[in-house]
Formats: sequence, structure tokens, C-alpha cells
Amino acid sequence: MIDLAAIVSQVRRGMIPAHVYADPEIFAAERDRLFARSWVFLAHESEIPDPGDYVVRRVLADSFIVARDEAGVVRVMFNMCLHRGMQVCRAELGNASHFRCPYHAWTYRNDGRLAGLPFHQEAYGGEDGFARAGQSLLPAPSMGTHNGLIFISGDPDAPALADYLGDFAFYLDFYTRQGPAGVELRGPQRWRIKANWKIGAENFAGDSYHTPHTHASVVDIGLFREPKASKRIQGALYQAGPGAGTTYKLPPAGNGHGDLAGQLRYVGYPDAMIPAMAAAWSDRQRALVADSGFMPSAATLFPNLSFVHNWPQIDADGTVAPFISLRQWQPVSERETEVLSWFAVDAAAPEDFKRRSYTAYLMCFGSSGMFEQDDVENWVSITDMAAGSMARRLTLNSRMGLTSEGKPVKPPLATFAGPGVAYQGFGEYGQRHWFGLWGDCLSREAR
Amino acid sequence: MTAGQPLPYGDPAHLAAHQFLVEEAALLDAADFAGWLGLLCEDIRYVMPVRVTTARGAGFDALADMGHFDEDMYALRKRVQRLATDHAWTEDPPSRTRHFVTNVRTFRQDEDELRVESALLLFRSRGDTREPSLISAGRTDLLRATPDGLRLARREITVDESVLRTQNLAVFL
Repeated sequence: MIDLAAIVSQVRRGMIPAHVYADPEIFAAERDRLFARSWVFLAHESEIPDPGDYVVRRVLADSFIVARDEAGVVRVMFNMCLHRGMQVCRAELGNASHFRCPYHAWTYRNDGRLAGLPFHQEAYGGEDGFARAGQSLLPAPSMGTHNGLIFISGDPDAPALADYLGDFAFYLDFYTRQGPAGVELRGPQRWRIKANWKIGAENFAGDSYHTPHTHASVVDIGLFREPKASKRIQGALYQAGPGAGTTYKLPPAGNGHGDLAGQLRYVGYPDAMIPAMAAAWSDRQRALVADSGFMPSAATLFPNLSFVHNWPQIDADGTVAPFISLRQWQPVSERETEVLSWFAVDAAAPEDFKRRSYTAYLMCFGSSGMFEQDDVENWVSITDMAAGSMARRLTLNSRMGLTSEGKPVKPPLATFAGPGVAYQGFGEYGQRHWFGLWGDCLSREAR
Repeated sequence: MTAGQPLPYGDPAHLAAHQFLVEEAALLDAADFAGWLGLLCEDIRYVMPVRVTTARGAGFDALADMGHFDEDMYALRKRVQRLATDHAWTEDPPSRTRHFVTNVRTFRQDEDELRVESALLLFRSRGDTREPSLISAGRTDLLRATPDGLRLARREITVDESVLRTQNLAVFL
């Protein structure tokens, strides 16, 4: 038996028992205490734009239909027939007015309500034997949306999504609200990796330290100019609410202090998009980029939704194009994760920009991405090493940026425009923040 | 499905196309990626749409706007350049690959171009403890006659899984 309280106490000090990355008991605790109760991302509204559109997504073993009903309302329903438990919808996306169970033809409207069952009168004696009224596929216990992102929680008493997102909502806008139209998501690419789900989530929450070495090849070939150690160490690492992330320090823009447009042009946004970005963001959000001079790059919203924003060179002429990806680390087991990786782009962006941005995404991230390939190599190897008995004797040091007394090596940035706390330079602040939230979840009751 | 009849298997154009695919596979399995680039036309398009599970009547089983690959020559050159660096960790140690190419059907597209369909099974093994992976796919290629012989002008890869069971696509199909 594992001593969960002792493990949580260790991770709160930045010392990570190595076996947590491959331990079936830890995985069971994560399932029952964390994923059964936390807000978890399922889909984006742009994936189901029209009435009847649906996607089927999972939270661990639970399959959900995420559908837009005939009235345009987004519904999240447990994908299990009320009668004998068959999976009602077995496609992963499509458009349907009704879902009919293949077993006995019980049929549900796309808002989940039971519309009919064969021989209701003859077999059940009508409403007396089985009251159809009020019967519905089980809805997700809690559901919420933010910037079109659809989240559910298995906890019917979950805090409101907006309260949960808290200060991290400020940073979410950089990825999911670049204009009044919002973003559209494409994909996802889906693939399975033999890695524990936590490793990717931690990495995106604050590991700027890996970039210069893990991703040396993309600098070698001139794909992305920023990951050099000398540049990466200038970035700010922030922790805010249920999330944390990394940024790159931008060079002083042509017009100097406060030049938002210059900074956005530097990372490749066309002039046609810049006024909408400036209008969509608050004074503080504009100031993060224009005055503090930091451009958000990777981030993780606890527990398992990550974001990335990079700006590689996509052609021989040196064209720089930014892209955004959302990615989910969907746990399969303690040693396997399904990665869902979406390309996101402002819905109102010019078509030629969307094309460039998509090219940039495919070259860098996703199933074939030249960054992602080397990330996953590390994560698979960690999981493999963590599975044996020796790993139970090893506690990994995740204290970078802390003195022996637990004080920051450097004070937080005093002039960082965003909420939360931010540090410049390398440090495992974001990973510890993430693991602190993990510890909070594993310390609560199972549900 | 492709309209029209495939060339007879004894047709010199079919034999040349088949030999092209086998020779190409040999280059890939020998990790001669620079040599492989030499088989591509400068205007190559190399695409691999994301396959999805849909109802039989849905009318589509791939995403129109999302691929695993959507490459031009610049992007493919970058991938090959990367593999040649000392820092492409995911292929160092390298995969042992075997490209099995079969079910080759050749169609006369026009005077200079052949459309060639083939089935591909890629076996990939890395390290000593990991499970190997398989990628099964159909391919539709456009082969163009050039003064240097046939060259690949377009490849569309129809992968047979919606959720890939391989660590990444640091390989060419």
C-alpha cells in the first residue's frame, strides 16, 4: 500500500517519488479523487457549430457525447443506453438528430431525452410499466464553458467553472480569444504514447529548462530561432490559479516600450489581425506583451489541458508564422496516454494566415511535429524507468529555483503585468505549482 | 476507389512504377533520407489526413482540414535535416523499419504521369524493451516521368487507424 499523505507531503516540497509516474495505485487514486471531481476539458464549441453536430470524447473510461441540440444548446451526455448499457453513439463525430441504440433501438434526441422505444405499449404496458417522460441519457454532473471551451466535472457540487479558472483565465485568452470571433479548433490528431499523463502536463506548465537541449535540433536546422538557452532563460514563468506557463522575452519592438503591434508583428501576426487582438485583450493583457515584453508560449491548465504558442520559420524565404495548439493528455493507464492535439486559430483570421499557421503547427507539434517527437521520447523513457523497484528508492529533485530553506533563488518579477506570480529565468515553479494542485486533489475524498 | 482499369501487371509502366516504390522503400529502410529526397519532385505534396470513426452514412471518414502530415519540399527537407543533426533524440538510437509495399495498381494519368495505388505496412522497432509498432496505410501517388526517371509528385497516405499506436511520425510512409 502506498502512503498517499507522505507522497503528497514530498511533492509539496518539490521532491517527487519517481514511482508516481508508473504506479497503478497512484493511477487509481488519480481516477477516483482527481478525475472524478475536477473540471476536465472535453471539446470546443467550434467543433460542433451546427445543430445536431456531435463529437464523442472520454474522461478516462467514461465516454461522453458532446452535442449541439436542435435549439443550439451544447449538451454533454454519458454515452450509455439507459436500458442495457450499450454505447449509444459509436462514431467519434458527425451530425444526428437522434441517437439510436443498436441493441434494442431505444432512441434519444440529440439533447439526450428518450424519444422512443419499440413496443412500449405491448411490452411494458405503456407509461405504467416504464415512464418515458423525464428519461434522458445521464448528463455530465457539472458542465461549463469558457471562450467556447467545454469542460465537465464529475462533481455535481463543483465550483463554478469561472471560479475554478480564476486568474488563469487571463492567460487562456492569449490562446483562445485573439478577437471577437474566438478561435476555431481543427483536429484533433490522436495517438497513444507509452508515457504517464502527468509528465506532459508538468512539462508545459513550466519546463523552459528542457527547451535548449531537448529541442536543439530545431535550432540546428533554423526552424525556430527562440529556444536557444540564451533566449529561453530570459522568459518569465508564471503560476496563476489552476494553471502555469512559460513565456519568451521579446526583443524591444521597433517603436519601443508599449508597441503591441510591433511585438505581434515580430512573431508573425499580420496587420489584418492586430486591431482585433488589441481590442479583445484587456489593458493588462496588452501590457503583458507590449510593456512587460513577454509572449505566452507553453502552459497547462490543471489537470490535463495544455497549450502552446510558437512562431517558427515555415519557408525558405524566412516567413515566420505563429501557431496555437491545444492538447490533452488523456490517461489510458499509469503507463499509457492518448494525446489529443488540436490546431487552433482565430476564426476571423485571413485564410492565407490560417494556412501558414497550420503549416507551422504541423512542422512543430502534433503526431509528426519536430518539437513533439523529442518531448515524447523523454516522457516514454521516464515512464519506463519509473516502473521498476529501483524507482521506489529514488526521489526526483524538482526544486529548481528554491534555496535549501525553500525561498526563491530570485525574487518574483515586480513589473509582470499578469496575475499570479512570475519569475524570470529557469526554475521548476510551474511544475511544483501543478504538483501542489495534484496533491490537493489526492488529499480529498474519493467520489 | 479509382476510376478506370489498372494497367496490366506486365505493362512496362506498371513495372517501372512498382520498381520505383520498392526502391524507395529500400532507401527509407536504409535510412538514406537524403537519397529519398532525391526521388521527390520540387513541387511535392505529401499529405496524410487524420482518419476518423464515423457512421457508415456520414459520407466521410477523414478530416478535410487536419492531417498528420501536409508537407511541401521545404518541410520535408527540414525533417530530413533534423534527422541528420546530432540532436534528433527520438531517432537516436534509430528505429529499425521495414516498409512492406504491396497491392500495387498503376493507372495512366496522362502522358507524363502515373497514378499508383499501393498498400503499405510499416514495421518499426526501437530499443530492446519497447513493443514494436505497426502502421498500416494505403497510398495514392502521382509519379511523374522526368529526364532522371520517375519522381514522386504527390502522395496521399490513407492511414488505417484513427488513433495511431506509434510514438510519433518521425518516419516517412
